Amino acid sequence: MKKIIILIIICSPIFAFSQQNMEGTVRYLVTHNWAKKLMAVEYLSKQQREKSMYMWGNRSEWKEYYLMHFNLNESKYEESEEKAERVVETYNWRKETFFIKRNYQNMATHEGYEILGKTYILEDSLYGYDWKIQNDLKEVAGHICMKAFLEDTIKKQKIVAWFAQDIPLPMGPERFHGLPGLIMELDYNDGAMVISADKIDYKKLTAELDTPKKLKGKKIKDADYQTLINKHIAEKTKSEEPWFWGIRY
Amino acid sequence: MKKRLLPFLFLLCGISLSAQNPSKVSIKGIVQDTLGAEQPFATIMLLNPKDSALLNFTRGDDKGAFEFKNVKNQAYLFKISFVGFIPFQQNIEPSANPINDLGALKMKPITKELMEVVIKTAKAPLSIRGDTIEYNASSFKVPPGSTVEDLLRRLPGIEVDADGNIKAQGKDVKKVYVDGKTFFSDDPKAATKNLDAQTISKVQVFNEKSEQAKLTGIDDGKKEKAMNLELKEEYKKGAFGKITGAIGTEERWASRGNYNRFNKKEQFSVIGFANNINQTGVNWDDYGEFKGQNTFNGNDNGDFGFNSGGNFMWFNSNNEPFFNNFDGRGFTKNYGGGANYNFDNKKKKFNLSYTYNQTGLDLDQFSLRQSFLQDKSFFNRDTTDRVEFRNNHSINSRYEWEIDSTNRLIAKLNTRFSGNTTEGIFSQGFKNDLNTNANTRYLNTQNNNEQDAHNLTSSLIFRHLFKKKGRSFAASVGYNDNASDGTENLNTLNQFFQATTFTEQIRQLNIRDNATRQTKSSLLYTDAITKKWFSESFFNYSNTKNDVNRQVQDLLKNSERIDNLSVFYDNGVLYNRLGTSVRYSHNGKNMTLGVAAQQIQLKGAYSIDRDMPLLTSPLNRKYNNILPYLSSSFEFKNNMYLSANYSYGIREPRFNDLQPIPNVNNPAFRTDGNPDLTPERFHNISFNINYWNPASFGNLGINLSTELFDNQIVYNQFIEELPNIGIRTTTKPENVAGGYRHNGYLWSSFPIIKTKLTLNANGGVNISNAPSFINLVKSETQSLGFNLGAGLTYVANDKLILGVRANANNTDVSYSIQKNQDQKIRNNSLDGNIKWNFIDKFFFESNYTYNDYKNDRFAFDQKIPIWNASVRRLLAKDNRIELRLAAFDILNKRVNIVQTGTQNFVTQSTAATLARYFMLSMTYNVKGHESKLKKNNNFF
Repeated sequence: MKKIIILIIICSPIFAFSQQNMEGTVRYLVTHNWAKKLMAVEYLSKQQREKSMYMWGNRSEWKEYYLMHFNLNESKYEESEEKAERVVETYNWRKETFFIKRNYQNMATHEGYEILGKTYILEDSLYGYDWKIQNDLKEVAGHICMKAFLEDTIKKQKIVAWFAQDIPLPMGPERFHGLPGLIMELDYNDGAMVISADKIDYKKLTAELDTPKKLKGKKIKDADYQTLINKHIAEKTKSEEPWFWGIRY
Repeated sequence: MKKRLLPFLFLLCGISLSAQNPSKVSIKGIVQDTLGAEQPFATIMLLNPKDSALLNFTRGDDKGAFEFKNVKNQAYLFKISFVGFIPFQQNIEPSANPINDLGALKMKPITKELMEVVIKTAKAPLSIRGDTIEYNASSFKVPPGSTVEDLLRRLPGIEVDADGNIKAQGKDVKKVYVDGKTFFSDDPKAATKNLDAQTISKVQVFNEKSEQAKLTGIDDGKKEKAMNLELKEEYKKGAFGKITGAIGTEERWASRGNYNRFNKKEQFSVIGFANNINQTGVNWDDYGEFKGQNTFNGNDNGDFGFNSGGNFMWFNSNNEPFFNNFDGRGFTKNYGGGANYNFDNKKKKFNLSYTYNQTGLDLDQFSLRQSFLQDKSFFNRDTTDRVEFRNNHSINSRYEWEIDSTNRLIAKLNTRFSGNTTEGIFSQGFKNDLNTNANTRYLNTQNNNEQDAHNLTSSLIFRHLFKKKGRSFAASVGYNDNASDGTENLNTLNQFFQATTFTEQIRQLNIRDNATRQTKSSLLYTDAITKKWFSESFFNYSNTKNDVNRQVQDLLKNSERIDNLSVFYDNGVLYNRLGTSVRYSHNGKNMTLGVAAQQIQLKGAYSIDRDMPLLTSPLNRKYNNILPYLSSSFEFKNNMYLSANYSYGIREPRFNDLQPIPNVNNPAFRTDGNPDLTPERFHNISFNINYWNPASFGNLGINLSTELFDNQIVYNQFIEELPNIGIRTTTKPENVAGGYRHNGYLWSSFPIIKTKLTLNANGGVNISNAPSFINLVKSETQSLGFNLGAGLTYVANDKLILGVRANANNTDVSYSIQKNQDQKIRNNSLDGNIKWNFIDKFFFESNYTYNDYKNDRFAFDQKIPIWNASVRRLLAKDNRIELRLAAFDILNKRVNIVQTGTQNFVTQSTAATLARYFMLSMTYNVKGHESKLKKNNNFF
């Protein structure tokens, strides 16, 4: 069924709508709130969660930029070189392997991750999500967006997506896609992490959509990826430590 | 026509004909506005009517027409979304026809006002329920102090007349709820006229059954407009706290409590404690709750240096007396309390706290010290009996202002008043041979000591980020002031059992008055040379003035001043440092290479008293040094971090050590100053590896560091046997090369069975060489220390956690002047603990530690087993009450033992402290206690 949705997009009058310049880059501002991430951790008592909120609350936020390059059929989500926070930098972190490349025509995905210290290359067909459409409208970066909702039962995340009514691309940041419009904003667990588009740059792309040439890593399928993540979350939860220190939130 | 007919047809044939419905259907229609104009390119969705799950979607063409071809023939929630229109929604049932033509679908436009005001200007999400629209009121800016009524006037679709009557979508609002509850009275204006607009997050307008319908229970179908005002999260106040009272055997008692109130912007907390169970202050957990968001403040150090940190610190203002700092010796009675206030609205952060604590200490200590000379050794046997009272009042404040995105200001002001009164009896017996009872000398001192101190530290730090990326500037100024004055009343009996036995009595009054004032300032400039290369330059200045006045009066001679013990000195330290460095930072590789030029100027003038002629010509020393600096860190794949650092350090001599006048407080001990001292210089090299494996939960850390002294300040001793006095030790600070300290440390933790059994292990080695001159002969004291520890934690299940641990601590000290006096100091321990939730809400916790302190040369071997156990039970709603019965040191064996060996002596001291007692405590926790065993404490 989910695959059908995607097929429909491909075959629907989207092409009639398409403009010449349906190609470019979306910049997403990603805001992490560490204390709020802990708020959803079940093994902590309410008191412990409130205490961490009390001690860290406002000071536990940090921001970064991500980019999503797109054309009519493809998208690629990756970290931006640009720093979202202006601080005096005295340390530069190692850049991890990370990209999510989608081809909506072939319904194929090609992703690169570092999970628990190992590099994995995921190549598989594209799986969809069970979005629930809700009746709320909001503006994100100049586009009126509609609300969609999703619950990740393994990561214990309530995810709200705002998709543009006027950009008919089924794409979105992180692994999310499959809505009738471009996902402009994702909100995990009420502000624990917010990915919000702040700029869309329509431009002719050159090599931005290409995946890295030299890629070393274990080749896996989507099911392997899920198994890896589920296992880690289960183990971490059992030993009562946050899982999101080791893998992407 | 067709449009109207379809649903009608469904009603007619619905269920009976459903079997004959085609399995696939095509759904089509045309999107129009209310005026019938076609709306192209709208998004059309088919949702599951049960949960609104998205099943299918398409897009209208340029004429507004759309068609879903061959979709499953089932009930759908049909939805159209289009910019500028209220989303269109309609239930459609399984179709009897293979083509289900919905005809023209008319969308209502969202009023321009709502679009412009709510969505574009206020950035508020619109929620649509049927035809009703709800939005977020918090986005509407109203002046501070405005009422909800003022806010409502600004909301599109809501009208408020002069009397305050409210209309929503043209209808009267009959009821106003606040957070779903009636606000004081049924009058809708009660809430809107009285509540502050800033407390409101959402305004919801909805239809409600009429009062009459509610009263009669008969739904007359009449609906009235009602409004709900939802309060902002930050105005939903929170509070937590707990209070404990405990009584025990041996007259032991304890109580403590804390209470915190907070909202999103403000935090207020109070804390208090009182006990006689050796808790002299608060623990880390309590402190974190007390200080709240002000527990940690990063980048607060105005003393800029290499990598913007540096160790240019003259006053240690972080030395927080409010913490529990009991050192294991003696008996204490403690009282303390404090209040803390934090304000934080992201732009401005303010913290103010006051703390008070006092400790009464009762100490009985016994220590034995053996000192070595080339050909012999001698012993001191000391007993100390001390009663001490100390107290502290501290006021700390901090203000951080983010002026704008490029400018930030931090101001800090801390002040502390502390007092200390000590009454002590100290006796010291000197022996040449431990096995004989005869002392060569016996010293008995009774002293009363009183001191009051006042301490102030303040600083102002400003940071500016330039437009150019990587370019920044920071400046800081600071003023610190320390003053203390005190008196010491000494009554000493010095008995000499030499050729002729005689007794000397000393009665002195020692009046001290110290004042230190410091002004300082630092500048820092960083710039990006390229994307990966950066430069940093800094300048530090500080000027410290230090006045010390010590006047000693002889109470046996009409309080006459004792000139050779009284001294007044007036010192100044002028410190300047200019440094620069280049840094490479890219993709986990960070390297800094820098150099600094440093000048320290010391000035000192000595006289017997203030306004008396100088005793020696004023001291004036200037030390110029060039200091290199190198640091590097590398981050590898697989979570491995490696860093290596080198720095060259300079520590200027202390004034006490430079003082050209000897200190002869005690005829058997003489301290000489050395005006020719030069600063200590040392190389500091360190190397670190950290590795963690998030998949296996394994950790490994290795830490190697070494300090090589080019020039070390050591205290040389000259020990002579004088007629009458016996052994006299003269200490003089001098510069010596060749000292070193090497440290290696390794720790690891990894699961043997994941989530069940974890092994922790650590090991360390310390090698040091401390050269000094004993009676003009170079003595090298080599110390070789090993420590090893290993422990297992077993989490059997959620109810039972067990742990065992063994530690071995060996120190071998060898003295070059007397090889046969080499010491082997051993401190070993074995530890076992259990946490067991044996019945619901009942917990048993116990730990047993077996310590063994050994030193073969003294034939010292003390084994101390310590066993603690407690049972607790949770009671009341939400487990708010905890009852706990605890037994401390069940075997009644606790004493405090410290063994050390350095330079030319080895010391071992034993102090009595709190041993066996039983205690019953009750804790009330506002939020309730944890009802399960905690596997981890590191949840932050």
